[in-house]
Amino acid sequence: MPPERIELVTPAGRDWSPVVRLVLGGIGDRLDLGFDELDDLQLAVERLLAEAGAQEAVRISVEIVDGGVKAQIGPLNEVTIAEALQGPEPRPGELTLRRVLETVVDSFGVEDVDREGLYVRLDKVVHRSR
Amino acid sequence: MTSKRDGRGGRAAGTSTAPGAPPQTDRELLRRYHEGGDRTAREELVQRHLPLVRALARRYAGRGEPLDDIEQVGAIGLLKAIDRYELSREVALTTYATPNVVGEIKRHFRDKGWAIRIPRGLQELNARMSSTVERLTSRMGRSPTIAEIARELTVGPEEVLEALEAGSAYAPMSLSGNPSSESDLDPMEALGGEDEAFERSEQRATLEPALHALPERDREILRKRFEEGLTQTQIAEQVGISQMHVSRLIRKSLARMRAELSG
Repeated sequence: MPPERIELVTPAGRDWSPVVRLVLGGIGDRLDLGFDELDDLQLAVERLLAEAGAQEAVRISVEIVDGGVKAQIGPLNEVTIAEALQGPEPRPGELTLRRVLETVVDSFGVEDVDREGLYVRLDKVVHRSR
Repeated sequence: MTSKRDGRGGRAAGTSTAPGAPPQTDRELLRRYHEGGDRTAREELVQRHLPLVRALARRYAGRGEPLDDIEQVGAIGLLKAIDRYELSREVALTTYATPNVVGEIKRHFRDKGWAIRIPRGLQELNARMSSTVERLTSRMGRSPTIAEIARELTVGPEEVLEALEAGSAYAPMSLSGNPSSESDLDPMEALGGEDEAFERSEQRATLEPALHALPERDREILRKRFEEGLTQTQIAEQVGISQMHVSRLIRKSLARMRAELSG
Protein backbone atom coordinates (compact mmCIF):
# COMPACT_ATOMS: atom_id res chain seq x y z
CA MET A 1 0.00 0.00 0.00
CA PRO A 2 1.48 3.40 -0.94
CA PRO A 3 2.23 5.75 1.93
CA GLU A 4 -0.58 8.09 2.86
CA ARG A 5 1.11 11.39 2.27
CA ILE A 6 -0.06 14.91 1.54
CA GLU A 7 2.40 17.35 0.03
CA LEU A 8 1.85 21.04 -0.21
CA VAL A 9 4.02 23.85 -1.49
CA THR A 10 2.97 27.15 -0.01
CA PRO A 11 4.25 30.66 -0.58
CA ALA A 12 6.08 31.79 2.54
CA GLY A 13 4.10 34.30 4.50
CA ARG A 14 1.23 34.49 6.92
CA ASP A 15 -1.39 35.03 4.25
CA TRP A 16 -1.27 31.36 3.43
CA SER A 17 -1.32 30.02 6.98
CA PRO A 18 -5.11 29.55 6.94
CA VAL A 19 -4.81 27.28 3.92
CA VAL A 20 -2.13 25.23 5.61
CA ARG A 21 -4.23 24.97 8.78
CA LEU A 22 -7.22 23.78 6.77
CA VAL A 23 -5.15 21.06 5.12
CA LEU A 24 -3.76 19.98 8.47
CA GLY A 25 -7.27 20.05 9.87
CA GLY A 26 -8.42 17.65 7.20
CA ILE A 27 -5.54 15.33 7.97
CA GLY A 28 -6.28 15.60 11.68
CA ASP A 29 -9.88 14.66 11.02
CA ARG A 30 -8.79 11.56 9.09
CA LEU A 31 -6.51 10.62 11.97
CA ASP A 32 -9.13 11.26 14.63
CA LEU A 33 -6.86 13.75 16.33
CA GLY A 34 -8.36 15.44 19.36
CA PHE A 35 -9.08 19.15 19.05
CA ASP A 36 -6.04 20.07 21.15
CA GLU A 37 -3.75 17.59 19.36
CA LEU A 38 -4.74 19.08 16.03
CA ASP A 39 -4.21 22.56 17.37
CA ASP A 40 -0.72 21.56 18.56
CA LEU A 41 0.22 20.22 15.14
CA GLN A 42 -1.11 23.32 13.41
CA LEU A 43 0.79 25.55 15.82
CA ALA A 44 4.06 23.67 15.30
CA VAL A 45 3.84 23.96 11.52
CA GLU A 46 2.73 27.57 11.72
CA ARG A 47 5.66 28.48 13.95
CA LEU A 48 8.12 26.80 11.62
CA LEU A 49 6.62 28.49 8.58
CA ALA A 50 7.28 31.79 10.33
CA GLU A 51 10.97 30.88 10.14
CA ALA A 52 11.03 30.60 6.40
CA GLY A 53 13.27 33.64 6.21
CA ALA A 54 13.78 34.84 2.67
CA GLN A 55 12.39 31.67 1.10
CA GLU A 56 9.75 32.24 -1.52
CA ALA A 57 8.06 28.91 -0.96
CA VAL A 58 8.06 26.20 1.66
CA ARG A 59 7.22 22.58 1.10
CA ILE A 60 5.15 20.77 3.69
CA SER A 61 4.93 17.03 3.60
CA VAL A 62 2.62 15.25 6.02
CA GLU A 63 2.65 11.49 6.18
CA ILE A 64 0.32 9.31 8.14
CA VAL A 65 2.48 6.69 9.82
CA ASP A 66 1.76 3.92 12.25
CA GLY A 67 0.73 5.54 15.49
CA GLY A 68 0.75 9.11 14.35
CA VAL A 69 1.76 11.69 11.85
CA LYS A 70 5.13 12.78 10.54
CA ALA A 71 5.65 16.14 8.91
CA GLN A 72 8.58 17.71 7.13
CA ILE A 73 8.78 21.45 6.55
CA GLY A 74 11.40 23.30 4.58
CA PRO A 75 13.49 24.94 3.38
CA LEU A 76 13.70 27.18 6.41
CA ASN A 77 16.07 29.87 7.61
CA GLU A 78 19.18 27.90 8.46
CA VAL A 79 20.67 30.12 11.13
CA THR A 80 17.43 30.65 13.01
CA ILE A 81 16.44 27.01 13.01
CA ALA A 82 19.90 25.80 13.93
CA GLU A 83 20.04 28.19 16.88
CA ALA A 84 16.52 27.34 17.94
CA LEU A 85 16.73 23.59 17.68
CA GLN A 86 20.34 22.81 18.38
CA GLY A 87 21.25 25.52 20.85
CA PRO A 88 21.35 25.13 24.63
CA GLU A 89 18.30 24.12 26.66
CA PRO A 90 15.96 27.07 27.22
CA ARG A 91 16.35 28.62 30.65
CA PRO A 92 13.36 28.55 33.02
CA GLY A 93 11.02 31.36 32.03
CA GLU A 94 12.49 31.57 28.56
CA LEU A 95 10.12 30.91 25.68
CA THR A 96 11.97 29.73 22.61
CA LEU A 97 10.91 28.05 19.41
CA ARG A 98 12.51 24.93 20.81
CA ARG A 99 10.36 25.05 23.92
CA VAL A 100 7.24 25.60 21.86
CA LEU A 101 8.00 22.58 19.69
CA GLU A 102 8.92 20.45 22.72
CA THR A 103 5.48 21.20 24.12
CA VAL A 104 3.34 20.64 21.06
CA VAL A 105 4.95 17.68 19.25
CA ASP A 106 6.49 14.43 20.45
CA SER A 107 9.80 14.81 18.66
CA PHE A 108 11.46 17.03 16.11
CA GLY A 109 14.80 17.64 14.49
CA VAL A 110 16.65 18.75 11.43
CA GLU A 111 16.08 16.03 8.85
CA ASP A 112 17.80 17.43 5.83
CA VAL A 113 19.75 20.40 4.60
CA ASP A 114 20.42 21.67 1.13
CA ARG A 115 21.66 24.91 -0.34
CA GLU A 116 18.22 26.46 0.13
CA GLY A 117 17.97 25.82 3.84
CA LEU A 118 17.00 23.33 6.51
CA TYR A 119 14.19 20.82 6.54
CA VAL A 120 12.65 20.12 9.93
CA ARG A 121 10.90 16.92 10.90
CA LEU A 122 7.98 16.87 13.32
CA ASP A 123 6.49 13.73 14.86
CA LYS A 124 3.12 13.73 16.54
CA VAL A 125 1.86 10.59 18.24
CA VAL A 126 -1.86 9.98 18.05
CA HIS A 127 -3.30 8.91 21.37
CA ARG A 128 -6.05 6.57 20.34
CA SER A 129 -8.18 6.30 23.45
CA ARG A 130 -11.39 6.77 21.49
CA MET B 1 -42.08 68.62 42.09
CA THR B 2 -40.08 65.75 40.76
CA SER B 3 -40.88 65.19 37.16
CA LYS B 4 -40.09 61.82 35.54
CA ARG B 5 -39.64 63.42 32.14
CA ASP B 6 -37.95 66.60 31.14
CA GLY B 7 -40.52 67.55 28.56
CA ARG B 8 -38.31 66.40 25.67
CA GLY B 9 -38.33 62.75 26.54
CA GLY B 10 -35.19 63.00 28.66
CA ARG B 11 -35.28 60.70 31.63
CA ALA B 12 -34.94 62.24 35.06
CA ALA B 13 -32.26 60.93 37.36
CA GLY B 14 -32.89 58.67 40.29
CA THR B 15 -30.14 60.53 42.06
CA SER B 16 -29.29 64.15 42.26
CA THR B 17 -26.04 66.04 42.41
CA ALA B 18 -26.88 67.69 45.72
CA PRO B 19 -28.37 65.80 48.68
CA GLY B 20 -32.02 66.68 49.06
CA ALA B 21 -32.17 68.54 45.76
CA PRO B 22 -34.61 67.30 43.12
CA PRO B 23 -33.08 65.12 40.40
CA GLN B 24 -31.94 67.09 37.43
CA THR B 25 -33.11 66.29 33.96
CA ASP B 26 -30.77 65.08 31.25
CA ARG B 27 -31.04 68.45 29.58
CA GLU B 28 -30.04 70.28 32.77
CA LEU B 29 -27.05 68.00 33.19
CA LEU B 30 -26.09 68.42 29.53
CA ARG B 31 -26.29 72.16 29.96
CA ARG B 32 -24.08 72.04 33.06
CA TYR B 33 -21.53 69.97 31.14
CA HIS B 34 -21.54 71.76 27.81
CA GLU B 35 -21.94 75.31 29.03
CA GLY B 36 -20.26 75.13 32.41
CA GLY B 37 -17.71 72.40 31.79
CA ASP B 38 -19.02 70.46 34.79
CA ARG B 39 -17.57 66.97 34.41
CA THR B 40 -19.55 65.63 37.37
CA ALA B 41 -22.66 66.28 35.29
CA ARG B 42 -21.14 64.26 32.47
CA GLU B 43 -20.35 61.44 34.86
CA GLU B 44 -23.89 61.48 36.20
CA LEU B 45 -25.24 61.24 32.67
CA VAL B 46 -23.00 58.27 32.02
CA GLN B 47 -24.13 56.49 35.18
CA ARG B 48 -27.74 57.27 34.42
CA HIS B 49 -27.61 55.79 30.94
CA LEU B 50 -25.40 52.79 31.57
CA PRO B 51 -28.47 50.52 31.83
CA LEU B 52 -29.30 51.54 28.26
CA VAL B 53 -25.77 50.60 27.20
CA ARG B 54 -26.04 47.23 28.97
CA ALA B 55 -29.36 46.50 27.32
CA LEU B 56 -27.96 47.31 23.88
CA ALA B 57 -24.77 45.35 24.54
CA ARG B 58 -26.76 42.24 25.48
CA ARG B 59 -28.15 42.15 21.93
CA TYR B 60 -24.63 41.47 20.72
CA ALA B 61 -23.73 38.85 23.34
CA GLY B 62 -22.94 35.30 22.28
CA ARG B 63 -20.90 36.34 19.26
CA GLY B 64 -17.57 35.36 20.68
CA GLU B 65 -16.88 38.57 22.54
CA PRO B 66 -17.19 38.91 26.32
CA LEU B 67 -20.26 40.91 27.34
CA ASP B 68 -18.14 43.11 29.61
CA ASP B 69 -16.05 44.15 26.64
CA ILE B 70 -19.10 44.93 24.53
CA GLU B 71 -20.51 47.04 27.36
CA GLN B 72 -17.28 48.98 27.60
CA VAL B 73 -17.31 49.68 23.90
CA GLY B 74 -20.93 50.73 24.16
CA ALA B 75 -20.03 53.06 27.01
CA ILE B 76 -17.55 54.77 24.71
CA GLY B 77 -20.42 55.33 22.29
CA LEU B 78 -22.43 56.84 25.12
CA LEU B 79 -19.59 59.19 26.05
CA LYS B 80 -19.28 60.31 22.45
CA ALA B 81 -23.01 60.94 22.29
CA ILE B 82 -22.87 63.05 25.45
CA ASP B 83 -19.88 65.00 24.15
CA ARG B 84 -21.39 65.59 20.71
CA TYR B 85 -24.89 66.39 21.87
CA GLU B 86 -25.97 69.85 20.83
CA LEU B 87 -28.29 71.63 23.22
CA SER B 88 -30.24 73.07 20.32
CA ARG B 89 -31.40 69.55 19.47
CA GLU B 90 -35.02 68.81 20.18
CA VAL B 91 -34.29 65.18 20.88
CA ALA B 92 -33.89 63.18 24.06
CA LEU B 93 -30.38 62.05 24.96
CA THR B 94 -31.50 58.40 24.96
CA THR B 95 -32.75 58.77 21.40
CA TYR B 96 -29.55 60.44 20.33
CA ALA B 97 -27.28 58.05 22.23
CA THR B 98 -28.80 54.77 21.05
CA PRO B 99 -27.46 54.85 17.46
CA ASN B 100 -24.12 56.09 18.78
CA VAL B 101 -23.83 53.17 21.19
CA VAL B 102 -24.96 50.61 18.63
CA GLY B 103 -22.66 52.12 16.02
CA GLU B 104 -19.70 51.90 18.35
CA ILE B 105 -20.43 48.26 19.14
CA LYS B 106 -20.83 47.37 15.47
CA ARG B 107 -17.63 49.17 14.63
CA HIS B 108 -15.88 47.19 17.33
CA PHE B 109 -17.05 43.89 15.89
CA ARG B 110 -16.06 45.00 12.43
CA ASP B 111 -12.64 46.43 13.28
CA LYS B 112 -11.52 44.38 16.22
CA GLY B 113 -13.53 41.26 15.80
CA TRP B 114 -13.68 39.48 12.50
CA ALA B 115 -10.45 40.55 10.85
CA ILE B 116 -11.65 39.39 7.45
CA ARG B 117 -15.11 38.99 6.03
CA ILE B 118 -16.51 35.70 7.29
CA PRO B 119 -19.93 34.42 6.24
CA ARG B 120 -22.42 34.84 9.03
CA GLY B 121 -23.22 31.13 9.10
CA LEU B 122 -19.59 30.30 9.83
CA GLN B 123 -19.39 32.98 12.51
CA GLU B 124 -22.41 31.50 14.23
CA LEU B 125 -21.09 27.97 13.91
CA ASN B 126 -17.78 29.11 15.36
CA ALA B 127 -19.58 30.70 18.30
CA ARG B 128 -21.57 27.48 18.91
CA MET B 129 -18.45 25.39 18.60
CA SER B 130 -16.72 26.95 21.54
CA SER B 131 -19.34 25.74 24.01
CA THR B 132 -19.65 22.43 22.19
CA VAL B 133 -15.94 21.70 22.58
CA GLU B 134 -16.17 22.48 26.28
CA ARG B 135 -19.26 20.33 26.75
CA LEU B 136 -17.76 17.36 24.91
CA THR B 137 -14.45 17.70 26.72
CA SER B 138 -16.26 17.64 30.03
CA ARG B 139 -18.46 14.72 29.00
CA MET B 140 -15.71 12.56 27.52
CA GLY B 141 -12.80 13.57 29.71
CA ARG B 142 -10.66 14.33 26.67
CA SER B 143 -10.49 16.70 23.78
CA PRO B 144 -13.12 15.85 21.14
CA THR B 145 -12.21 15.01 17.56
CA ILE B 146 -13.41 17.00 14.60
CA ALA B 147 -15.85 14.21 13.74
CA GLU B 148 -17.30 14.24 17.26
CA ILE B 149 -17.74 18.01 17.19
CA ALA B 150 -19.41 17.71 13.78
CA ARG B 151 -21.84 15.04 15.01
CA GLU B 152 -22.75 17.10 18.06
CA LEU B 153 -23.44 20.14 15.89
CA THR B 154 -25.09 18.05 13.15
CA VAL B 155 -22.82 19.50 10.50
CA GLY B 156 -20.07 18.00 8.35
CA PRO B 157 -16.41 17.81 9.44
CA GLU B 158 -15.51 20.22 6.64
CA GLU B 159 -17.85 22.81 8.09
CA VAL B 160 -16.25 22.38 11.50
CA LEU B 161 -12.81 22.91 10.01
CA GLU B 162 -13.99 25.96 8.11
CA ALA B 163 -15.59 27.39 11.21
CA LEU B 164 -12.42 26.74 13.19
CA GLU B 165 -10.49 28.61 10.56
CA ALA B 166 -13.05 31.38 10.69
CA GLY B 167 -12.23 31.58 14.39
CA SER B 168 -8.62 32.20 13.50
CA ALA B 169 -9.73 35.26 11.60
CA TYR B 170 -11.37 36.50 14.76
CA ALA B 171 -8.87 38.49 16.74
CA PRO B 172 -10.43 39.80 19.92
CA MET B 173 -8.47 42.61 21.47
CA SER B 174 -8.79 42.76 25.22
CA LEU B 175 -10.54 45.90 26.32
CA SER B 176 -10.54 45.11 29.98
CA GLY B 177 -8.36 42.08 30.53
CA ASN B 178 -5.05 43.83 30.70
CA PRO B 179 -4.37 44.94 34.24
CA SER B 180 -0.80 45.90 33.45
CA SER B 181 0.55 49.39 33.48
CA GLU B 182 0.31 49.35 29.71
CA SER B 183 -3.42 49.07 29.84
CA ASP B 184 -3.95 52.35 28.07
CA LEU B 185 -2.00 51.17 25.10
CA ASP B 186 -3.18 49.12 22.22
CA PRO B 187 -1.48 45.74 22.72
CA MET B 188 0.32 46.14 19.43
CA GLU B 189 1.61 49.53 20.48
CA ALA B 190 2.78 48.08 23.75
CA LEU B 191 5.06 45.58 22.10
CA GLY B 192 8.74 45.96 22.36
CA GLY B 193 9.05 49.05 24.40
CA GLU B 194 11.39 47.46 26.87
CA ASP B 195 13.63 45.60 24.52
CA GLU B 196 15.11 48.07 22.12
CA ALA B 197 18.53 47.79 23.66
CA PHE B 198 18.82 44.15 22.68
CA GLU B 199 20.72 43.22 19.62
CA ARG B 200 17.94 41.88 17.46
CA SER B 201 20.23 39.70 15.42
CA GLU B 202 21.11 37.74 18.53
CA GLN B 203 17.50 37.43 19.60
CA ARG B 204 15.95 36.06 16.46
CA ALA B 205 15.94 32.52 17.71
CA THR B 206 14.35 33.32 21.03
CA LEU B 207 10.91 34.63 21.74
CA GLU B 208 11.66 35.51 25.31
CA PRO B 209 12.32 39.29 25.18
CA ALA B 210 9.03 40.00 23.46
CA LEU B 211 7.25 37.89 26.05
CA HIS B 212 7.52 40.67 28.58
CA ALA B 213 5.70 43.08 26.31
CA LEU B 214 2.54 40.97 26.19
CA PRO B 215 -0.48 41.64 28.40
CA GLU B 216 -0.14 39.85 31.72
CA ARG B 217 -2.99 37.41 31.09
CA ASP B 218 -1.57 36.34 27.73
CA ARG B 219 1.87 35.94 29.28
CA GLU B 220 0.41 33.80 32.03
CA ILE B 221 -1.35 31.59 29.50
CA LEU B 222 1.90 31.08 27.59
CA ARG B 223 3.69 30.26 30.84
CA LYS B 224 1.07 27.70 31.82
CA ARG B 225 1.17 26.08 28.38
CA PHE B 226 4.88 26.04 27.64
CA GLU B 227 6.48 26.03 31.06
CA GLU B 228 4.02 24.16 33.24
CA GLY B 229 2.92 22.00 30.31
CA LEU B 230 -0.78 22.36 31.02
CA THR B 231 -3.20 21.45 28.25
CA GLN B 232 -5.44 24.04 26.67
CA THR B 233 -8.38 22.49 28.48
CA GLN B 234 -6.66 22.84 31.86
CA ILE B 235 -5.68 26.44 31.12
CA ALA B 236 -9.21 27.24 29.99
CA GLU B 237 -10.56 25.96 33.30
CA GLN B 238 -8.03 27.92 35.34
CA VAL B 239 -8.34 31.19 33.45
CA GLY B 240 -12.09 30.97 32.96
CA ILE B 241 -12.21 31.24 29.19
CA SER B 242 -12.99 28.69 26.49
CA GLN B 243 -10.46 26.23 25.12
CA MET B 244 -10.84 27.77 21.69
CA HIS B 245 -10.11 31.19 23.13
CA VAL B 246 -6.97 29.82 24.79
CA SER B 247 -5.90 28.42 21.42
CA ARG B 248 -6.48 31.76 19.71
CA LEU B 249 -4.62 33.71 22.38
CA ILE B 250 -1.60 31.40 22.25
CA ARG B 251 -1.42 31.58 18.49
CA LYS B 252 -1.85 35.33 18.48
CA SER B 253 0.70 35.91 21.23
CA LEU B 254 3.36 33.83 19.52
CA ALA B 255 2.73 35.56 16.22
CA ARG B 256 3.00 38.96 17.87
CA MET B 257 6.20 38.03 19.59
CA ARG B 258 7.69 36.71 16.37
CA ALA B 259 6.66 39.85 14.51
CA GLU B 260 8.31 41.95 17.18
CA LEU B 261 11.55 40.02 16.90
CA SER B 262 11.50 40.43 13.15
CA GLY B 263 11.54 44.16 13.72
